[in-house]
Amino acid sequence: MTRLVTHPIARFLARRLLYSAVVLIGVLVVVFALVHLVPGDPVRIALGTRYTPQAYDALRTASGLDKPIVEQFFSYIGSALTGDLGVSFRNGDPVTVILLERLPATISLAVAGIFLALLIAVPAGIWAALHEGRISDAIIRVASQFGVSIPDFWMGILLIALFASTLGWLPTSGYQPLLDNPAGWLRHIVLPALTVGLVAAAIMTRYVRSAVLEVASMGYVRTARSKGLTPRVVTFRHTVRNALIPVLTITGIQLATILGGVIVVEVVFAWPGLGRLVYNAVAARDYPVIQGAVLLIAVLFLLINLIVDLLYAVIDPRIRLS
Amino acid sequence: MRGQVRKPFAHVRRFKHRGQRVEAFGVMAMRRLAALVAVVTLFSTLTACSTGERVDLGGESSGNLIAAIAGEPDQLDPHKTSAYFSFEVLENVFDTLVAPDANLEMRPALADSWNVSPDQLTWTFHVRSGVTFHDGSPFTADDVAYSYRRIIDEQLTNSDKFSAVADVSAPNAETVVIRLKQPTPNLLTNLGGFKGMAIVQRRNVESGQIATHPIGTGPFAFSGQKSGDSITLKANPSYWGGPPDVSGVTFRFISEPTTALSALQAGEIDWTDSIPPQRVSQLRDDDSINLAVTASNDYWYLALNEARKPWNDVRVRQAIAYGIDREAIVAATSYGTAAANQLAIPEGNPWYTAYHRYGYDIDKAKSMLAEAGVTDTDLDMLVTSEYPETVTAAQVIADNLAPLGITVNIRTVDFATWLDEQNTGNFDMLMMGWLGNIDPDDFYYAQHHTDGTSNAQKFSDREVDRLLDAGRVESNRQARADIYRRAATKIADQVSYIYLYNPSVIQAWTTGLSGFESRRDGAIRFDTTELARSQTR
Repeated sequence: MTRLVTHPIARFLARRLLYSAVVLIGVLVVVFALVHLVPGDPVRIALGTRYTPQAYDALRTASGLDKPIVEQFFSYIGSALTGDLGVSFRNGDPVTVILLERLPATISLAVAGIFLALLIAVPAGIWAALHEGRISDAIIRVASQFGVSIPDFWMGILLIALFASTLGWLPTSGYQPLLDNPAGWLRHIVLPALTVGLVAAAIMTRYVRSAVLEVASMGYVRTARSKGLTPRVVTFRHTVRNALIPVLTITGIQLATILGGVIVVEVVFAWPGLGRLVYNAVAARDYPVIQGAVLLIAVLFLLINLIVDLLYAVIDPRIRLS
Repeated sequence: MRGQVRKPFAHVRRFKHRGQRVEAFGVMAMRRLAALVAVVTLFSTLTACSTGERVDLGGESSGNLIAAIAGEPDQLDPHKTSAYFSFEVLENVFDTLVAPDANLEMRPALADSWNVSPDQLTWTFHVRSGVTFHDGSPFTADDVAYSYRRIIDEQLTNSDKFSAVADVSAPNAETVVIRLKQPTPNLLTNLGGFKGMAIVQRRNVESGQIATHPIGTGPFAFSGQKSGDSITLKANPSYWGGPPDVSGVTFRFISEPTTALSALQAGEIDWTDSIPPQRVSQLRDDDSINLAVTASNDYWYLALNEARKPWNDVRVRQAIAYGIDREAIVAATSYGTAAANQLAIPEGNPWYTAYHRYGYDIDKAKSMLAEAGVTDTDLDMLVTSEYPETVTAAQVIADNLAPLGITVNIRTVDFATWLDEQNTGNFDMLMMGWLGNIDPDDFYYAQHHTDGTSNAQKFSDREVDRLLDAGRVESNRQARADIYRRAATKIADQVSYIYLYNPSVIQAWTTGLSGFESRRDGAIRFDTTELARSQTR
C-alpha cells in the first residue's frame, strides 16, 4: 500500500486527479453562472410565441427555475457529484444518456480526423523541413497556409460536391455507428473526417516543420551526421524523434478541440456530434444539457492532457513525471 | 518503474545489430505490402457501391421513405412542444378530433360527426369506432376528454385555444360533449387546426414516455430516435384512414440546405423541405426532382413599439409603412418565392381582404413625418439570427428609411434573447412571422386586442377590440367575415403591424415519390404517398 502511494506514477496521477477535480468544480461554477447570466429564458423559448402567463408559470415551476439560484446551484452540484446531471428541459431525457448517445459520433470523428491529419502533416512537415527553402517546402507552406485559411464549411460543401454529388463514391451526410455497420461507418466518416483532418493537418504541418527545423540545427544532429550515419538514420532516429514533443502537444490540442465539437462540420454533414448538441442546447437555453456537455468536454480535455503528459515521458525518458 | 516507462523503446535499441536490422526491413517490406493491399481493398469497398446508394439505416427501416427536415424536434409531446420540426414528425403520428383538408376546411378525423345545440353553447362529438392506439389499446371518448383536460388543467402552451370552454366530458365511450361559456364559431379550427391539439393516451403521458416515445392513433407509429441523426416511424397497418402505402418514414435531420439538396439529388433521401431559396429558380427547370412552391398562410410583419415615442404617433407609423419597399424585401429574403401583402392573409383564402393603401412612396412618408414633427431619429430594430430573413430584411429596411432621416440600428440576437427583449418591450421595431394561420381569431386577437397575449407592440384601439370580441362569438359566417374585414383594415390603417409578405412552403422530392400533397398550412403528411423504389436511383 505504501509502495503504491509513494510510486512516482501513482503520486503523479493522484496529484493530477486532485487538480482535475478542482478544475472541474471551477468549470461547473463558471458554466452555471454563465448560462444563468446570459439573457434568454428557457421557459419562454420552450413555449414559443403564443402562450398564456399561466402556462409560463406552470412550466417555470415544473422546471425548478422558480427556486433561488443558489439553491438551484447546490442541488445541481449535489446530484452532479453522484453522477446525476439532471434531465433535459426539452424532452426530459437524462443528460448522461443524451451525452453518451452523442459521444461515439464525436470520438469517431475526432480520432479519424486526427489520424488523417497526422498522416498528412507528419510526412509533409518533415519533408518541408528537410528541404527548407526549396520549391517543395514553398509548396507545402503555401498549401498549409491555404488549408488554415479555408473555411471548413466551404471545404465540406466542396467535398460533398465532388465525392458525393459528382463522383457518387461516398454518401453526402449522416452517421452509422461503428459497431452496427463498420463499412457504413467508414463510408460516412470519410468526408467529415477529411474536412476536419485537412484543417488540422494544415495547422499541424507548420508545427512539425518548425519542430524538425529546430532540432535539425542542434549540435548533436551535426555530430551524428559528421560521424557518418546515413541521412535516414540521422533524420528519423535523431531529428524526428526529438521533434515529437511539440508535435504531440499540438496533436493533443487539436484532438481536444475536435472532441469539444466541430459545429460547422457537424452541420454540413448532419453529423450527430456534441457540437450540434451544445449549439441546440444553448439556443434553447437547455441549462442541464449545456452544463453536462461542458462538463464532459472539460473531462475529455483533462484526460487528453493527462495522456499527452504521460506520452511525453514515454517519448523522452529525460522528462520525469514530476 | 522507469524501466517500464521506457520499455516501448527497447526495440529501437535492437536495430543497432545489423542482422536484425535487415530482418526488420524484410518485415517492414512485408508490412508495406500488406498495408498497400489493405488500402486497395478498403478503397474498392468504399467505392464499390453504386452512385447514390441509400443510407442503410438497419434492416427494419430499409424500405422506408426518407425525409430530410431542417432540424431535430425538441421533444415529441404534441401538447408541450412549440417547435415546427416536432410537428413535422408528429403530424404523421397523432390525430385530432377534426382535421383541415387541403382548403383548410375542418373535416371529420377521430370524430366522424358532430352537432351543435341551438344556443351554440354545447357541442356533441361522436367519435369514430374501432380506432386503436399504436400499442393496440382501444381509443375512446375518454381519451379525448383526458387530452383536452390535460391541456386545460396543466395550463399547457395551447390552453388559450380552450379559453371559451367551460367543461369537457365523455358521457359514454362514443360521445364527447364540450360546453362553452360563449358561442365559439371557430371551435373546430381550435380543436383541429394543428397537432398541438392531438388526442394522446393517458398511460403514455402518465408513464412520462410521451416526450420521447409518443403513442398516437395516426398513420405512422413512432419506432425509434437516434439523437442528432434521425427519427424512424413505421406504418400503422390498422390506421382508420387505411394503412399507408410506404412501410415507414425516416426523418433525417439535415440543417444545411446544400447538403439536403445534394442528398436528394444523389437519391439518398426521397423528400426534403430544407432547400436553399436561391436554388429554387434553377430547380424549377430540373426534371430529375419534383419541386413544389406553395403559397402559404404564414406571414411576416413589422411591429413598432407604441409604448415609446415617437412610434406612438400613428402618422409616424404610417410614414414608415409608406417608406418600406416590400418588393425589395421579398426579393432579398426569398429570392422572389414569397408574395408581398399589406394584410395578413393571401388572396385565395376565405378570409382574404383586398388592401393596397401603402404603396412605396418616399415623398408621402417624408411629408407625414414632417407633419408629426419628427426629424432625424434613431430606430432600434430587433431581429434574430434564428430567422435569417429578419436580418436580411432589416438591412433593406435600414436602407429604405435612411432618406427619411431615420437611422436604423439593427440589433441581431439569438432567439432566446429576442423573446426576452420582445417580452420586456425593449425594442423600437421588430420583425417576426406567424405560422399555420387558419382562423382569423387565431391571428388577430392575441396580436392586436388590447388584452392580447402576443401584443408586444402595445397596440390598443377600442374599435379593433370591439370587432375582435364580436368576431369571436359571431356564428353567422358572412357577418363574421365582414367583422374581420373591418378589423383587418383598421389594424393596417392604425399600423398595429406593418404586414410584409406571405412566404411559400418550398418542398422537393424524388420522381419516384408520388401522392405527396404540398399544403398551404405546411403540414406534412406521408400517409398518401407511394414510393417506386426502382426510380430512386
